[in-house]
Amino acid sequence: MEELGDIVHEFLMESHENLDQLDRDLVTLEQEPHSRELISRIFRTIHTIKGTSGFLAFSKLETLTHAGESLLSRLRDGVQPVTQETITVLLAMLDKVRALLASIEETGSEGDVEIESVIERLQRQMSDGGPAEQPSPPAADASASGDAASPTAEDSGNQPSADASSGEGGHPSAEEASAPTPTRDIPDDKTGRRPLGQLLVESGAATQADVTWAVQRQVEGDERKLGTILLEEGKTTPAAINEALQAQNKRSVADSAIRVDVDLLDSLMNLVGELVLARNQLVRGVAELGDPALIRTTQRLNIITSELQEGIMKTRMQPIEHLWAKLPRVVRDLANACGKRVRLVMEGKETELDRSLLEAVKDPLTHLVRNAVDHGIETPEERAAAGKNPEGTLTLRAFHESGHVTVEVSDDGRGIDVERVAHKAIERGLLRPDQVATMDPREIMMLIFQPGFSTAKQVTNVSGRGVGMDVVKTNIERIGGNVDVESTPGKGTTLRLTIPLTLAIIQALTVECAGERYVVPQVAVHELVYIDGETTKIEYASGTPVYRLRGNLLPLVRLDRVLDLPPAGDKGVYVVVLQADGRRFGMVVDRVLNTEEVVVKALTARFKDIGLYAGATILGDGKVALILDVASLARRSHLSAGQAERQTTVTTTGTTAKSEDVNRLLIASVGDRRVAIPLDMVTRLEEFPVDRIERAGMREVVQYRGQILPLARLSHLLGVMSEPEEEERIPMVVYTERGRSVALVVDKIVDIVEDKITALRDSDDDAMLGTAIVQQRVTELLDVRRAILAADPNFYNDVPDAMLVEA
Amino acid sequence: MASRQFATFEVDDQLFGVEVGAVQEVLSFSEYTPVPLAPSSVGGLFNLRGQVIAAVDLRVQLGLERRVIDGPVMNVILRADDEPVSLLVDRIGEVIDLDDSRFEPPPDTLSGPVRDLVVGTYKLDDRLMLALDVKAAVDTSRVPS
Repeated sequence: MEELGDIVHEFLMESHENLDQLDRDLVTLEQEPHSRELISRIFRTIHTIKGTSGFLAFSKLETLTHAGESLLSRLRDGVQPVTQETITVLLAMLDKVRALLASIEETGSEGDVEIESVIERLQRQMSDGGPAEQPSPPAADASASGDAASPTAEDSGNQPSADASSGEGGHPSAEEASAPTPTRDIPDDKTGRRPLGQLLVESGAATQADVTWAVQRQVEGDERKLGTILLEEGKTTPAAINEALQAQNKRSVADSAIRVDVDLLDSLMNLVGELVLARNQLVRGVAELGDPALIRTTQRLNIITSELQEGIMKTRMQPIEHLWAKLPRVVRDLANACGKRVRLVMEGKETELDRSLLEAVKDPLTHLVRNAVDHGIETPEERAAAGKNPEGTLTLRAFHESGHVTVEVSDDGRGIDVERVAHKAIERGLLRPDQVATMDPREIMMLIFQPGFSTAKQVTNVSGRGVGMDVVKTNIERIGGNVDVESTPGKGTTLRLTIPLTLAIIQALTVECAGERYVVPQVAVHELVYIDGETTKIEYASGTPVYRLRGNLLPLVRLDRVLDLPPAGDKGVYVVVLQADGRRFGMVVDRVLNTEEVVVKALTARFKDIGLYAGATILGDGKVALILDVASLARRSHLSAGQAERQTTVTTTGTTAKSEDVNRLLIASVGDRRVAIPLDMVTRLEEFPVDRIERAGMREVVQYRGQILPLARLSHLLGVMSEPEEEERIPMVVYTERGRSVALVVDKIVDIVEDKITALRDSDDDAMLGTAIVQQRVTELLDVRRAILAADPNFYNDVPDAMLVEA
Repeated sequence: MASRQFATFEVDDQLFGVEVGAVQEVLSFSEYTPVPLAPSSVGGLFNLRGQVIAAVDLRVQLGLERRVIDGPVMNVILRADDEPVSLLVDRIGEVIDLDDSRFEPPPDTLSGPVRDLVVGTYKLDDRLMLALDVKAAVDTSRVPS
């Protein structure tokens, strides 16, 4: 039983691979409907699946593939032409095969997968296309399963009619094959395998005359297999038959490769990493001893170890073709669904990368391809109108470049409309209009990777829901990669993924904090700044540490504080400028030690909840160090979406190097009080008609862009009498962070000023941070955080507010 | 009567034991990498022949003060959930064969964190050995940080 389990397992693995190939072949066939070679290959593969499923008693699978095979044999024989409809039905059949295989994999049985509808469609195709072929029971010889079971492989020697006809002539009789033979199920192996007789003659193991004679015997009713006849009549040797049987199985070419459990490779990889460390220690020790013979030996060991490491790394590499295999099908189906014509070009499919990376890149890449077909490439009419080839071209390109793998998805479609992106970004509150002016088109284009962004005019069932591009970016960044976009309006768009070669070994920066070493993936590191406390220093914006990096405020994260370690001072420390989720921030550490290649080790699940560590590694001295997860570090420090963005774009005038901060403030009046709100806490200014304010529980809300926006009236908060609402519209200050918004109701927006805050005095009002003179007038600085919490107590919590969820 | 083999060790002068089948190895180690923000029962990480192993401070698990690591500490490396994890203990004892007749459920009066970690008591000639529940002993999510 165990053995059968293995066979089933083998069958599943092989079939999965075959199915991917089939997808590609069918899509290609659609473009080259007359390729006999292609049809034959498809036929052969389906036949193999059918044969093995018959042998393993998966009757549904067998029936289904049999129906598919019947249709394919008609295509092959030219009884009916290859049409788009035929391909669609055959692809549908593949999907069912997949479903069945999935069920087998999961439950060990075929389950209740429904196959009748597809079989019916297959049969309808046949009756539409020509004289109907009787669906006959699967051929008695479940032969093509060859590699799954030896008894059936033996069977393949017995192809009464096929071998008979071709054996006589010594070559396959194409004439007969192409002639419609609707009444008889065509012996399938003819297309896939060369007749045994022919092989024997070619190898000189049997004479043509003997083979012809043996075939004649079969025709006359000898039940024995061709090989058996020859063998028993002493016309050839068992070894020759064996050899010919092996040669007959074309797939045996692939037998030069073996399957290896990935876990085994992983553990080998671990051991090699360890060996490298041991070697390093040994090399150091031996150098101290100074024994020439020993030094030579260690040098050899050194070289061998490096080669071994390289070799093991290679075993984990797979061509990106594995990943691309599914894409022709995706493109075809999608293009058909959108009424577009798309040609898929793949360049560099042999480019290899680590299999764990292949997995990680799969979904992002598929998304980009779907996106390109859905949004990038225009309809044939639009393209024709623009003077382009009605058929769009989608090019996938992969290549190695300076230690990275670059994967490009280019379309020759309409390109990204920068204007529209900018407009959308403003509408979504990701940007202020005045920011757009200072941004270059590329920066604006990168906004498509922001969460909640989609410029599609129409939401289709494919894409355009505004989820996806940000996920693409996050996923690629998670594996230490990068996403870039280039686009020319009217000419097309190229999305470029830069991916490290392997996940297992990364280039890393080692830093020290509170006496312990931590590792930061080098890809996230942009630059290092030494803080001497004089020319370079850490400043504080209402308690939040920031650093002026070339005039822009860089929000800082103190690693010691994040990790709850004893704090270091602000002098003699380093700022590691990091980029995560498309945002920059600085991490303050005690020391920067060095960069080195480290082997990433998974961290036990018990530390998952902490969320700050991406893994662990063993440093050169054998000690364990934690690898920091830069993205979650940024999140953990509340450097979420909007805040960091706004902080970095608030530009300070470089000339004012004094300690007083230049602040941009929004001045509003509430009752008789003048209130200042830092402009970086203002996402938008809005006015709402009074009658749009509704009540939800104890709170006032307005409906706003499909969301429920909670309100806080500053007049209530400050306990002042508000001016009666004579106006029909009331002004509000909207603040958005991490996709959540609140609105602060004021009486009137007075001004936006840029000023140094002088003479700040503590305020006795809890809602205020203090009192200052702004533009020669006494102004109170609003404690925005408090005000926000008054509107939405859960604003800073990660748990979404139940009320907002309703929206 | 059936008997079992226990690997024994001491924490705070109390003898504990786990069945030898659960023990991968025992070794002394002195360099542990602390894991900030981890539960306080996590003593740190160390490198066991290229594998990163988490060491669980059995003292904390038993409700005692955290161990100050300033020298070699004995590790009992256990296989729990397929993942090796280490228990930091004071002293390693012998491997002993114990007859099932010596077993008794934990005394009713035994309470506190210890109660959750032991499956029962073995009466030795001169002292008592508490048999640890391996899973519970290495479960660092029990004690909040």
